[in-house]
Amino acid sequence: MNDRRKLLKTAVVGAGLYGVAPFYGPWKTNRAWAQSAQKKPLVIGLTMDSSGQYAASGADERLGAMMAIKEFNAKGGVLGRQIEALHMDTETTPATGTRIAERMINRNEAAFLVGAMHSGVANAISQVAQKYGCVYLNTNSSSPTESGKDCHRVKFVWDGSGTNFSHAIVKNAMKVNGKNWLLLTNDYVWGHQTSKATRAIIEANGGKVVEELLVPQNTRDFASYLLKIQQIKPDVVATAVGGDDIKALRQQVVQSKMNMKPAWINNQQDWPDVYGLGPEAIFGVFGTNWYYKLDLPGVKEFVAAYQKQYPGVAIQTPGNTYYNGYMATRELLKAVERAGTTNNLKVIQELENLKVSARERMQHHDAYMNPVTHHLEQTIYMASYNDHPSEKDDIFKILAQVPPGDVEDKEAPAACKLETMAATPSYEQ
Amino acid sequence: MSALVDLLPHLVNGVSLGLLFALMALGFMLIVGVMETINLAHGSLFALGMYFAIFLITPQLGWFPETQAAYLALPLGTRYAIALLFAPVLVGVFGMALELCMRRTYGKDPLYGLLLTFGAALVIEELIRVVWGSAERQLPVPEPISGALLIGDLLYARYRFFAAGFACLMIGALWFFLEKTPYGSIVKAGAHDSEMVRALGINLSRLRLFVFALGVGLAAVAGVIMAPIWGVRPQVGVDAVVPAFLIIVLGGVGSLWGAVAAGLLVGLAVGLTGAYASEWSLMSMYLLFIAVVTFRSRGLFGKKSILDT
Repeated sequence: MNDRRKLLKTAVVGAGLYGVAPFYGPWKTNRAWAQSAQKKPLVIGLTMDSSGQYAASGADERLGAMMAIKEFNAKGGVLGRQIEALHMDTETTPATGTRIAERMINRNEAAFLVGAMHSGVANAISQVAQKYGCVYLNTNSSSPTESGKDCHRVKFVWDGSGTNFSHAIVKNAMKVNGKNWLLLTNDYVWGHQTSKATRAIIEANGGKVVEELLVPQNTRDFASYLLKIQQIKPDVVATAVGGDDIKALRQQVVQSKMNMKPAWINNQQDWPDVYGLGPEAIFGVFGTNWYYKLDLPGVKEFVAAYQKQYPGVAIQTPGNTYYNGYMATRELLKAVERAGTTNNLKVIQELENLKVSARERMQHHDAYMNPVTHHLEQTIYMASYNDHPSEKDDIFKILAQVPPGDVEDKEAPAACKLETMAATPSYEQ
Repeated sequence: MSALVDLLPHLVNGVSLGLLFALMALGFMLIVGVMETINLAHGSLFALGMYFAIFLITPQLGWFPETQAAYLALPLGTRYAIALLFAPVLVGVFGMALELCMRRTYGKDPLYGLLLTFGAALVIEELIRVVWGSAERQLPVPEPISGALLIGDLLYARYRFFAAGFACLMIGALWFFLEKTPYGSIVKAGAHDSEMVRALGINLSRLRLFVFALGVGLAAVAGVIMAPIWGVRPQVGVDAVVPAFLIIVLGGVGSLWGAVAAGLLVGLAVGLTGAYASEWSLMSMYLLFIAVVTFRSRGLFGKKSILDT
């Protein structure tokens, strides 16, 4: 009887120790130091929206990340390990982002996290990632705070920020369209920060913001906003509205025949938000960081590879969100290769020193990672509707390309306080 | 005076928006009122109506190119009318299949019906993605009801007047059906005392099947009408089901005029806050809901429960 009891006790204690063993390990390397020797697949967690306001863009950036992973796997993976992509829907909801990041890091042993459209979600994920030291790529969320006050040592931001786009567009639009501006702002962090940057540039150049109307997320009916705009009569309406909200807004502006007057400026126009809307709905001037018809080396091949890999998708040509998903993931995997290890701190160092030639980026100017803010400084394009399209999807006319130095967010370095390397947990997955 | 002149277009907009909200809630109200089932698939069926309408207006019949060409040669107005008529019928048939699945949940914990319709909502949304893809679609609108009207010095979408007028028509038609026809009396009796209806020899199963088909058909009508305003995407149903649910509770479960009044109140709240306190425009409907339900828990037109006496 005693023996049996002892056996049971041992089993319980053993099981208990087994269960808690990871908590006693050397924190700096405990999360998988033993596994890298086993050539286990390298797990990359894709934290992308499949539902909510940014469902369409989330799906698009996921295709980009998957393409980069596929290309690496085709040539033997990274450091001799195949790469496994694990996707979970972050639902355009910060709380879901937090939960999924925790789960991916702790339960699924994701080495890196990639993906974000919504700045609130990106911020939530990056707080969890920083807690564990997990390198996280914010692919498409462009609130200036992402590389400003909400920056983290583990987080790298790949899209142009709202401030970059405002710098590229606002001054020029003031000269052409007038000085009285109305801001239409999505009521969350990206919208607020983008409109703040736009307001600063307007006021610095002698313009005036006559009104700012806040648009709650998931607004579908803009009739009251459109009536108000007509009553106020601004020269320019600058929108910082994204996802399904901007789709509904564009359609309703066209229905009300307000697409020609006043002038419309959309800080950044994501490709999935405008694809298929029809030529009338693509009014105004807007920013983007890439277009599939850029006359640059590699672009045609990049487009052809997309069309070959994803023949059945609704969006038949790649846009900026796909491009950012692809580029971020590719540069991460290249950084792992250069570092020769999946050790997070070494990968962070590689990414902090990242310089990508214009040719590799398929943009007009070289891009570089700002080591102080972890934001990729890159070419920004100003675009409008293309009234002479060469084919059905050729809906953007690129009006200007602005080099990264001209659009840099000068306030971001002061706002961004990166955690030290020593304060960032280290791991090797 | 100037403030009043400024306010007037927003009041008109609020009323037109309210009628559209009421239209969205009608089918939901009917199913909850008669069958005591909260149909969480209402939004997905609303979206399905949009997609069936797109199919009926611009069909892609790969195997029958000549038929397709002949059909597309019909004027857009005719195809739009066909879509407005037949998309709800197709969704109604879909709804009948769903009702047959729901029969096992009758008489059990209402949670079963809730879970089943929630599952159905997810399935329908994915089905839409599989068949039509995830990208944004547009429902073409005939020329006479597209474009803008200039009222004073303000432009207002002509389609919104059409949509609000159509919503009035549907509300009137449903009222006529429920109040002035023997079938409507049976439906109302079924809601009031289903056992007695059965005792009088009415086939209750068939009645439920009919009511469910009518309810989801109304969801589809709302979908077709709202498509040019909200746009068409697989997840659009979520945007409809939440206000629809709120409106029927606010108006009083099972009350047609309650749903209409609540729809109008919600429309005015959303429209006016959109103009004067835009950050509250979505929140306003929930605040209105809290304000009403706090003082009148059965909603504006809800019948008194025996627990209230």
